[in-house]
Amino acid sequence: MNTANILLIERGIIKLIKQPSAPIMGFGMSLFFLLVYNAGIGGVGSLDAFGTGGYLSFVFPITIISLAMGSSAGAGQTLNADMQSGYFRRLYLSPAPRWILVVAPMLADTISSLFFTILLIIIGAIFGVTFQFGFASVLGILILSFLWSLTLCGFSVGIMLRTGQHQSAAIVTNAVFPLLFLSTTFLPRELITADWLLAVSWGNPVTYILEGNRYLLAGTSSASFFYIGLIIFALTSTVSVIFALSSANKIKI
Amino acid sequence: MKAEIQIKGLFKSYPNGTQALKGICLEIQKGHFFALLGPNGAGKSTLVKVMTTLINKDSGNFTIAGINPETNQSKIQKIIGVASQDNEIDPTEKVENLLVFQGRLFGLTKPESNKRANELIEMFQLDTERNKKASALSGGNKRRLHCALALVHHPQILFLDEPTVGMDPVARANFWEIITQMNKSESVTIFLTTQYLDEADKHATEMALIVAGEIRYSGTIIDFKKMVNPDSSMSLNDSYLKYIKTLTNQEFSKNKKGKML
Repeated sequence: MNTANILLIERGIIKLIKQPSAPIMGFGMSLFFLLVYNAGIGGVGSLDAFGTGGYLSFVFPITIISLAMGSSAGAGQTLNADMQSGYFRRLYLSPAPRWILVVAPMLADTISSLFFTILLIIIGAIFGVTFQFGFASVLGILILSFLWSLTLCGFSVGIMLRTGQHQSAAIVTNAVFPLLFLSTTFLPRELITADWLLAVSWGNPVTYILEGNRYLLAGTSSASFFYIGLIIFALTSTVSVIFALSSANKIKI
Repeated sequence: MKAEIQIKGLFKSYPNGTQALKGICLEIQKGHFFALLGPNGAGKSTLVKVMTTLINKDSGNFTIAGINPETNQSKIQKIIGVASQDNEIDPTEKVENLLVFQGRLFGLTKPESNKRANELIEMFQLDTERNKKASALSGGNKRRLHCALALVHHPQILFLDEPTVGMDPVARANFWEIITQMNKSESVTIFLTTQYLDEADKHATEMALIVAGEIRYSGTIIDFKKMVNPDSSMSLNDSYLKYIKTLTNQEFSKNKKGKML
């Protein structure tokens, strides 16, 4: 990677460190969910369906998903600020490849989300979340989380570039939010009684990241969820990056 | 000798139907100081945007230092410097950091970038502002910083789109001193658009007049003045006003005839 690309990614990360409100809010919410869910309904974890990890390990993937959702709601902050100030035009006139001007802040958002995921994993481990395959589990969670986060950030940035409004980045979070409830978010498949919800959950990509993580955490799900999740989110993240890049042509210079 | 900037039959229209450029043809030699003049909305900024690869042309060709910008965008950016009408500054960054970052972006090493930032801070008299955030600068100082950023990488060709708007007379004099020095000692080609015709008169040697997307005159400033007023010497400002007035009257009578027919 050339110097200009590294500089622009670095700049994106430094900007996020200087204005960390969106990722910190996302992290705070995730931590809150983890504590509240575990304290409120953690008792059901004694049921066999939750496996050896208990309810804490079962509910942990939801906090990871919501962390990325929180971060993506603020995605493209730097890009938007640069466009508003006119500085984007100066970057546009530099020898740096133009695709990196869109990808760099998106990557910064994703890296920030990943950083907070690691923090969440550490806190989870302290609270007693189990990791079925040790470090391999952590790595698997991080890969899934990276792809999920990149998917959300890409679509958020793309929509923001097309509409020219920073607030519209939150559209993706709002669109994805109902998917959380149409999945095996709060209960394992065995305990879901409504057939329609079970059917919908099979077609819901969120299910694969949830169950994939559960496979890695407590082994309560099958490995196929993890692998299918990897394929799904590798595809969605590719599509979202292409969407964001194609949206860059819509920027009014 | 091939011209430093060569434009052949350039057309550009906007989605709202406005035809901003209608077959522009121009040639500017290396090291020349060229001024593109014309009323508001004539197409000056559009031409600069096309040539600096900010926007795409519809048709026609142009080369900069013999390079086709469509196939070598990155190469073009390395040899041109651009100071547009609007400030292009990150308001959250400090003056010195912005200059250093700009240098690094253009491939200077960190020590080179620091050295160049110091030079420009001194040249543009921004010493006391060095550690201030750009948002805390006065309007004039923001403008100085904006122009300084365009010079970080020692450009071979400089596009200045109304560069002195918002500068006080001292800053303006300082700015032109820097630019004319670069033009004379380093043979930097200058492409200027301005509404301050006294500045063009004083510093530029060649000009083109663009009206409604068409070049109406291209040549030296001296010849333009002679063409407008062969009998006595006039400033560029007066010559320009007289020419535009004549042009407006001609257009008016043309339209009137058209309507009568």
